[in-house]
Amino acid sequence: MDKADKEKTGEYEEHVRSAKYSVPESWSSPDTTPIGLLEEVKKEGRVWEELAEEYGVANPNPPWKTSLFATMEALSGCSGGLSTYDRRASEDELAETVYQDVPYPERELLALAHTMLRRGLVNEEELAQRMKQVEERLNSA
Amino acid sequence: MSDHDHSHGHRPPAPMVEEISDFEILEIAVRELAIEKGLFSADDHRRFTEFAESIGPLPAARLVARAWLDPEFKKRALEDGVKASLEVGVNWLDPTGFGTPSDYTDLRVLEDTPTVKHVVVCTLCSCYPRPILGHSPEWYRTPNYRRRVVRWPRQVLSEFGLQLPPEIDVRVEDSNQKCRFMVLPMRPAGTEGWTEDQLAEIVTRDCMIGVALPHPDRKVDDKRPVHPAVNPVHH
Repeated sequence: MDKADKEKTGEYEEHVRSAKYSVPESWSSPDTTPIGLLEEVKKEGRVWEELAEEYGVANPNPPWKTSLFATMEALSGCSGGLSTYDRRASEDELAETVYQDVPYPERELLALAHTMLRRGLVNEEELAQRMKQVEERLNSA
Repeated sequence: MSDHDHSHGHRPPAPMVEEISDFEILEIAVRELAIEKGLFSADDHRRFTEFAESIGPLPAARLVARAWLDPEFKKRALEDGVKASLEVGVNWLDPTGFGTPSDYTDLRVLEDTPTVKHVVVCTLCSCYPRPILGHSPEWYRTPNYRRRVVRWPRQVLSEFGLQLPPEIDVRVEDSNQKCRFMVLPMRPAGTEGWTEDQLAEIVTRDCMIGVALPHPDRKVDDKRPVHPAVNPVHH
């Protein structure tokens, strides 16, 4: 193995060590208590299944699905704060409790927001505020 | 000379959803806050979005079709899935040089034989060979599939319409963040003389997860129902 390869391997090993891939030592159940803001979205929000049917759109996926994917990937990266394992374990639990009647991928989005709120990565007030601003922005044209 | 009509032969524009849902707003809000708080960079987000939009099952289908036609390529694919992926245009190191955070960089190709049928799962979360096979279907991600296919593979496969005689062993491969799998199913009868393109068309995603067999008459996966798990998550 030449020097360049060794450096690349060293970089790779460092990447492995610093990445959040490990299974947590003790499992603690995620808090599945409903969150007011998300309950509102769940109740009032129109899911893609419904919208696509109403407007005659063939695409089975909402336009934000790939962006959601990217958010989940980026969060599980080295500085993200929410490993894939932790996120998916919470999602499994939430999908079978609070969000069980919501279709995928809306369910996935709600579960992600719920997990981030419960872990203090964002708080409910700032999320509600930002949603209001985004809505105004998107509807201002 | 054809008639000239006022619409110039334009098709009507494709339908669009003309309202903004709360879910769309929520997704944007979460993302913007996360970037502002430094949880990730806008640049990383853009790269992973582009990655998400670029992946699909076609490269894997091509790998299977080529393996059916070229025994040397098949040998290479079975020995080193990551290297063979390059030959169908997939670089497992994209987009960051280490793949994506949850994809890692190892792929194993599992060859079905007359006596062994493989099926792939990820019991812990839903790891999937996304760079070469695209996005995982919803049913693959459910606890119902993940728990049941490792315990009762034949029963689960029969629910997918795949009845296997007892002399065929079923081998369930459990994926994880460090290792992903795809199935190389057996080439079906009725495809003699077919080109690589024709063969690739009948290798659907479900065939490469292992829950379906390729068939000369089928180019699209059946729709699968999604079932909730009966017991709580940490049962």
